[in-house]
Amino acid sequence: MEVNGQLALTVLMGLFLVAVAAWLARVENWRSYTPVAGGGAFGQKDSYGSEEKPSGVIRWLTTVDHKDIGILYGAYGLIAFAVGGLMVVVMRIELIDPGMSLISNTFYNSLLTSHGITMLFLFGTPIIAAFSNYLVPLLIGADDMAFPRINAIAFWLLPPAALLIWAGFFPLPDVIPAQTAWTMYTPLSTGAGAGNQANAGVDLMLLGLHLSGVSATMGAINFIATIFTERGDDVSWANLDIFSWTILTQSGLILFAFPLLGSAIVMLLFDRNFGTAFFSGEGGAILWQHLFWFFGHPEVYILVLPPMGIVSYVIPRFSGRRLFGFKFVVYSTLAIGVLSFGVWAHHMFATGMDPRLRASFMAVSLAIAIPSAVKTFNWITTMWNGRVRLTTPMLFSVGFVSNFIIGGVTGVFLASIPVDLVLHDTYYVVGHFHYVVMGAIAFAGFSGLYYWFPLYTGRMYQKTLGKAHFWLSMIGTNITFFAMILLGYGGMPRRYATFLPQFATLHQLATVGALLLLVGQIIFVWNFVQSWLEGPEIEDGDPWNLRQSGLYTAEWDWFDQKQQTAIADGGDPDDETALTDGGHVDEPADDRSDA
Amino acid sequence: MDAEPGLSEQYRMASPWPLFIALGIPIAELGILFSLFPIAVGGLLLFGGSVAGMATESGYAKTPWRGLIGVAAPLAVLGLAFMFTRIGLPNRGLAIVAAAVILVAAGVAGMLFSPDREPTY
Amino acid sequence: MANKIFDRDTLLDLTVNVVPLFIIAFFVVAFAVLSPFGIDPLASSIQFGLLAVPFVLLAILTYFAGRAVAGSEQSGEVYLPGQAGVRGAKPLEEDHGPAAIDPESTDDAPEVEGDGEDDADGDAEDDADGDAEDDADGDAEDDADTKDA
Ligand code: HEM
Ligand SMILES: [Cu+2]
Repeated sequence: MEVNGQLALTVLMGLFLVAVAAWLARVENWRSYTPVAGGGAFGQKDSYGSEEKPSGVIRWLTTVDHKDIGILYGAYGLIAFAVGGLMVVVMRIELIDPGMSLISNTFYNSLLTSHGITMLFLFGTPIIAAFSNYLVPLLIGADDMAFPRINAIAFWLLPPAALLIWAGFFPLPDVIPAQTAWTMYTPLSTGAGAGNQANAGVDLMLLGLHLSGVSATMGAINFIATIFTERGDDVSWANLDIFSWTILTQSGLILFAFPLLGSAIVMLLFDRNFGTAFFSGEGGAILWQHLFWFFGHPEVYILVLPPMGIVSYVIPRFSGRRLFGFKFVVYSTLAIGVLSFGVWAHHMFATGMDPRLRASFMAVSLAIAIPSAVKTFNWITTMWNGRVRLTTPMLFSVGFVSNFIIGGVTGVFLASIPVDLVLHDTYYVVGHFHYVVMGAIAFAGFSGLYYWFPLYTGRMYQKTLGKAHFWLSMIGTNITFFAMILLGYGGMPRRYATFLPQFATLHQLATVGALLLLVGQIIFVWNFVQSWLEGPEIEDGDPWNLRQSGLYTAEWDWFDQKQQTAIADGGDPDDETALTDGGHVDEPADDRSDA
Repeated sequence: MDAEPGLSEQYRMASPWPLFIALGIPIAELGILFSLFPIAVGGLLLFGGSVAGMATESGYAKTPWRGLIGVAAPLAVLGLAFMFTRIGLPNRGLAIVAAAVILVAAGVAGMLFSPDREPTY
Repeated sequence: MANKIFDRDTLLDLTVNVVPLFIIAFFVVAFAVLSPFGIDPLASSIQFGLLAVPFVLLAILTYFAGRAVAGSEQSGEVYLPGQAGVRGAKPLEEDHGPAAIDPESTDDAPEVEGDGEDDADGDAEDDADGDAEDDADGDAEDDADTKDA
């Protein structure tokens, strides 16, 4: 039996490898390309048009073009958003009544864990990478990322990561989903005790998380190298746009935070499987919390800085004026980057740590609120007296500012030790961070998706649907998460599938808000897909009339050039130009299909 | 960007290797973690082979063969460490070493027998 | 040399990070003077370390970032951020101003209240004379910087 199993695995694995090898040989052949380097610059030129990118699925599987990879990241992030969102819809429905009704408590815990990890690691980070991959090279005048292939590797690590993280939900024998919550606190997550968390599902989840961390780190190295070394001649530090600044800072944070998480996860896996006692011995639980939050707090800024960059980018374009205090925003971004490593234990105020250390963490946590507030004032001042155009991207950016104020102010209160000791582990905390992660980060994501929609699709979305999406999201977010803040004041602890009847009304309100959000997102998906396929095509390179106010930027200029080339070529910008215009040396290589 | 149209054309926009490097890592991790010998070996081979292939493609090496040996070296060290140090996971270490040996064998065979442009395996 | 790079406007820009530095310094002093939980060799040194390390790192990063930005302002052309790569973009210090990327389309310039494109350069000239505090538009400071150089 044992031996048979091994044999079967060996045969399977062997077959798989042979299949891969055969496929590789075919692809390489079919692209008639010599693996021996050096042939690149010469000789191939006249066949480039068709050799540059294969077609169909293969093109997406093999692309190393930063724009394609950006689109892949975007698709991935949105799928993860849908999965994580549907998970939470089930949870919110369960929470309509106080008892256990729709799903079991353990299944609730599984969904809770997966929802958090999915949203943070499979939606948040990738959707940001979608924008940064597509835009940063265009904005800084680079041909591509510094390491295009590493870029592709970083992306392709993510689908396996998602499968591993969700593996517990698949019908695999003896595998159950993790129920550790996204913080994976030990000793529960070491599998100790009488619980069921020694299950392989938790190991798979940890592996998936580890992979997503490797992916993020690779991406970060790539962005740092790109922004430092690949900037165009005219793009000096003084000319670098705000989005690239935030991506640079974010990459720096990733570089210090994610490897630490990776190591902590490996140690945890060793504890679980190989009998070490990093986190199960004396002080192990606190050690885990320190390691986790040393990563975890920077992670929240990893997630929020680039969205802040998007908002800082979009708001001026629809206010008809430049970003107020541009350099304030840049320097405060850097300040947040540094300080975010000095506040981690504000998540641990209630652990009984030495009050002296606790006080220091409080001090830095209060200090970090300043750069965030500075940005907020800059956004507001940019709009003040501006010629504000309330397009959908602008609405989402304004919504970002509004929600970020509530999320930020509640955060500052939590940073105060006496307040935190009352509110810690209540729904207040859930309300706080959801105002930021949903109300701000996701909103900025939508803002960017709408703002650059013409850029990456060549078409325009449907405005009315876009506005409906915004208003449903805005109202839904505020109903849901304000109810949570009130629940927290009332003392409702977080992470429970059941609750005391006195909390029922606010919970039901939160569920109503969540359902509004759901409707809004369905509209979004419809609008997004349908407009991408059938929306009106954009003809000029300035769909937002930015030239008028002198706020035209490099990515649209690239787009404009692409439009003109497509027309000059007589080609319908909609067909697979990559295949049709072989031999045009002057054709920009990135003139790809718009589908 | 397009400041100099035509320049970016010299970049190849497709490569089959990243996908398989990215697949090799989780497969190898799974195999090692759950002590599934063939999975671990296979994942490492996939990873090592693709790394060598990519290094060749992007011009860091003329042929993949030395790359294979280059990937094998750190794997061998890791595997031996698993087997003979306090880590004490001999079966998993053996899998890693086995993968390293196969990679070296493939590399040597390639250097000896191949004209110069065979796919890596 | 250093003084040249860190001229008045740059220093003003950097004040944004001086505020958090000040808050941290305030707590350092407060904890030293009041020490509400007593002094313990290990705990107290960690306590102050936790404040000192971010303080020092932030100060260093602010210094280098300021130097990089202000330095490249002096050594190269300054464009509106994100505009350097636009074909035919004009650097900010030129008289056409940032609006003049595409002359045809500026004919129907919008009504902009406050400091729109038309007077952006005018403001910048004034700012060079020293009233940067009143500067309603952070980017106009760029002009001032380069003018001084
Ligand atoms: C304005 C500055 C901010 C301050 C001072 C702050 C403060 C805090 C504090 C003290 C807690 C711990 C509450 C507790 O568990 O008792 C907390 C929790 C949290 N914050 Fe913030 N926050 C800020 C901004 C943000 C931002 C920008 C994000 C997201 C991008 C964020 C995401 C979170 C998350 C996810 C948690 C919950 C962690 C958990 O226990 O699962 N916060 N925040
Ligand atoms: Cu935090």
